[in-house]
Amino acid sequence: MTGIVMFGAALLLLMVGFPVAFTFGGVALFFGIYAQGMDLFAFMPFRIMSVMQNKVLMAVPLFIFMGVVLQRTKLAEQLLTSMGRLFGGLPGGLAISTIVVGALLAASTGVVGASVVAMGLISLPVMLAHKYDKRLSTGVICASGTLGQIVPPSIILIILGDVLGLPVGDLFRAAVGPGVVLIGLYIAYILIMTRFKPETAPAMPADHSLSRKQEIGAALLAIIPPLALIVVVLGSIFAGIATPTESSALGGVGAIVLAIIYRQFSFKMVWNAAKDTVSVTAMVFAILIGATAFSMVFSYTGGDYLLEDWLHMLPGDHWGFIILSMVVILILGFFIDFVEISFIIVPILSPVAEAMGVNMLWFAILIAMNLQTSFLTPPFGFALFYLKGVAPPQVKTIDIYKGIIPFILLQILVLAMIIIFPEWFGMTDLATY
Amino acid sequence: AQDTYTLRLAETWGPNFPIFGDTTKRFAKLAEEMSDGRLRIRIDSSNKHKAPFGIFDMVKAGQYDMGHSASYYWKGKVPETLFFTSMPFGMTAVEQYAWFYEGDGMKLMQEVYGPHNLLSFPGGNTGVQMGGWFRKEIKSLDDLQGLKMRIPGFAGEVFAKVGVSPTNIPPGELYTALERNTIDAVEWVGPALDLRLGFQQIADYYYTGWHEPATELQFLINKDSWNKLPKDLQAILKTAMRVSAYDMLIQSQDANAKAWATIKEKYPNVQIKHFPDSVFKAMYKANNELLKEVAAKSDLAAKIIKSQEDYLKQTRAYTNISERAYLNTMAEVE
Amino acid sequence: MRWIIKLDEWLATASKVCGWVACGAMILMALNVFYDVVARYAFNSVSIGLQEMEWHLYSVVFLLGIPYALRTDGHVRVDVLYTKWGQKTKAWVNLVGAIIFVIPFAYLIATYGYDFALDSYNMGEGSGDPGGLPYRWIIKSVIPLTAFFIGTAGLNMVTFAIRVLAGDKSYEVEHSAEGLA
Ligand code: NA
Ligand code: NA
Repeated sequence: MTGIVMFGAALLLLMVGFPVAFTFGGVALFFGIYAQGMDLFAFMPFRIMSVMQNKVLMAVPLFIFMGVVLQRTKLAEQLLTSMGRLFGGLPGGLAISTIVVGALLAASTGVVGASVVAMGLISLPVMLAHKYDKRLSTGVICASGTLGQIVPPSIILIILGDVLGLPVGDLFRAAVGPGVVLIGLYIAYILIMTRFKPETAPAMPADHSLSRKQEIGAALLAIIPPLALIVVVLGSIFAGIATPTESSALGGVGAIVLAIIYRQFSFKMVWNAAKDTVSVTAMVFAILIGATAFSMVFSYTGGDYLLEDWLHMLPGDHWGFIILSMVVILILGFFIDFVEISFIIVPILSPVAEAMGVNMLWFAILIAMNLQTSFLTPPFGFALFYLKGVAPPQVKTIDIYKGIIPFILLQILVLAMIIIFPEWFGMTDLATY
Repeated sequence: AQDTYTLRLAETWGPNFPIFGDTTKRFAKLAEEMSDGRLRIRIDSSNKHKAPFGIFDMVKAGQYDMGHSASYYWKGKVPETLFFTSMPFGMTAVEQYAWFYEGDGMKLMQEVYGPHNLLSFPGGNTGVQMGGWFRKEIKSLDDLQGLKMRIPGFAGEVFAKVGVSPTNIPPGELYTALERNTIDAVEWVGPALDLRLGFQQIADYYYTGWHEPATELQFLINKDSWNKLPKDLQAILKTAMRVSAYDMLIQSQDANAKAWATIKEKYPNVQIKHFPDSVFKAMYKANNELLKEVAAKSDLAAKIIKSQEDYLKQTRAYTNISERAYLNTMAEVE
Repeated sequence: MRWIIKLDEWLATASKVCGWVACGAMILMALNVFYDVVARYAFNSVSIGLQEMEWHLYSVVFLLGIPYALRTDGHVRVDVLYTKWGQKTKAWVNLVGAIIFVIPFAYLIATYGYDFALDSYNMGEGSGDPGGLPYRWIIKSVIPLTAFFIGTAGLNMVTFAIRVLAGDKSYEVEHSAEGLA
């Protein structure tokens, strides 16, 4: 029970407003010492060390650095406003551009902290400057920054491949369809929503000195350099020049090269970019370290066994099992992170699913889709904290919590589509022998 | 009533990692049954302790009573631990078990681990590990020059000596890196475990093994935890470790054979290859040179290397006229 | 009060120095990864030592960045109530939080992290991979070092809160400059 009480305590204390990372760490400290004694914390150096040696997470500072340089040199603004101009008088152009950029970044990393923060740096100031609604802006950024979890390469899919014993390539291929549909739905949502509430996402002001054709031409010309940078990042992975993590370093160096070309470069700019990067990176990793202390206390005080016991009570018929297991994962996703779910919950569900003749590839995609949502669900969705960490003070936590809701519903919609119409995504719900 | 003892065991592997993880579960079950419940083993997998390569330190410090891992992972901390897993061009599983239990193996292993307040026992064998997945065929030593391969540890050093560039890629990015030709080859384990990572979908050449002919996992025990146990439970623990280790060898044989049948059936692109003689000769020479370097740095390492060399020489002579002769005969009549 | 101000400024400098080191490591890390990619792709040259240097630098970036971000108030807060509160209440939240959360947490990680690094030093631990880096204790000792500076930054939160309570400083001034960091 310690684990459950601890969640309640953390939730209450978070509201007080002490930094999130140290609230997690501090609550873990009290409950850990109370239940097991000080020596439980002898595990902490090992857990910190495993974060240090997790080179995939290196994408976080590297992507943030790229984002900061693009922001400080105004190149991000140029990219997004020009893309927005392409939409002419149509509202929502910036939001759709953000989704497109997010989708491109998603194809080059699977680390949420990296893409959400980079997207927050690149596009939040631009959207706010153009009088976008705070909730819409933050919702779009969190949702498109989290796309990396379902669009390959993805850490969730790799972990699920390992836990379920499925080839990673099959999972990557199967995830492309749902990823594309999700991106399409985000865009469709913006298009439809802004028809009814154009004031939440005003169209870019037209430049009346230019004809529409000239305006499009100028916009395309302005888009090319920063977009080329993102394409280089992606291309370096597809060409095998760099691993996904390394590609983010190419992005950072490339952003500096662009700054030189645009005469925005100075050593002071680079140093200040490094300072911003360090601060934001530290914010992300402090949360990771606080959360690892928290999950350590949760599992070492028997929280994982408690969850196992509950899960063994799930019903035994096909649809009942599928739907309830999805609901359970969704709810747990509010509180614990995807790695814990993959390793604690999935091994309990998978033998049951297998025994029912469920197609495990389909089942894995359902779980992945569902786990992506766990980053976004209040109160503990990490993507929300990360964005808050780089947002200007006028954006409140509550704006982010409310802004994400439509996108969570869209994700649940896609999840339902994959459950009901697996054939649309090239899959079947049952294993075919 | 007699006292019950609960030993906490940390394993390097994830919670449902096949074969390796089955071994600890089998071990825990055996120990509990044989002791009629007086001995309980509580297994924590890597998702719980988050320190797959911290097992040595955690058991040494008493944070866990036991560990299940592989000895060669500790080579960076204690160089002499290298020898108790498997050595390139070394003994086969049966030969190596004979060295452990009938030769000097166990004695030397305790000599290495003793100063760290640890006992180490054989923890299950994978059999011969495969030489790895290659995206292009290796026809000569030239093809190995600058070849980027994920190959850690001592075998990586041997490969490096013949021109390969060992490359460090996090496991989560291995598949993408191999698929995109960021690296040219990946060494992993054998069919049963490789199949899960999907390398068969992106690499056509599966090379036979030479570098880990009999990878032995290990059980580690904190000496203080061991000394607290009564004699009968110590004997039960020893037996359970030995039986579950042997069971893993059998399970590996079975699971690898089945996985290999699957690969043959579903992935006809996969071709089995051997390295050419010239490559093997160069690697054999490189291996011997490296061993000389290691021996020069530590008397204990020199002693272990000599013990393994002497034992291999004697036991291989017999293997040659028994198993090898039989397999050769079969190859002729089939 | 004068010695509190002195201490406060002195502790702030300690966190800033951590930040400078982390910034240097940040730039070196980007160059290191970039160099490794180019060397591997263009010249087929791979160095495991340099690849390990990547995560050594990355660790310095995020670890030493933590005390720095504490001083610059870069750590994210849930602001449902916090923004509505006045200076005094904020000061009390930070004062109490630092004393019961930050400092004890830092103390435990520092103590156990010291043993962790010391053990590595005593064993002469290095990389087990071909061409890997020796002296693993150096990077491991960044854990207790960081914890020490998180502790001083926690103390710094206390001294700053005292200054705010005394009316000598206020939180807005230090808050999220330029909307970032
Ligand atoms: Na991705
Ligand atoms: Na291997």
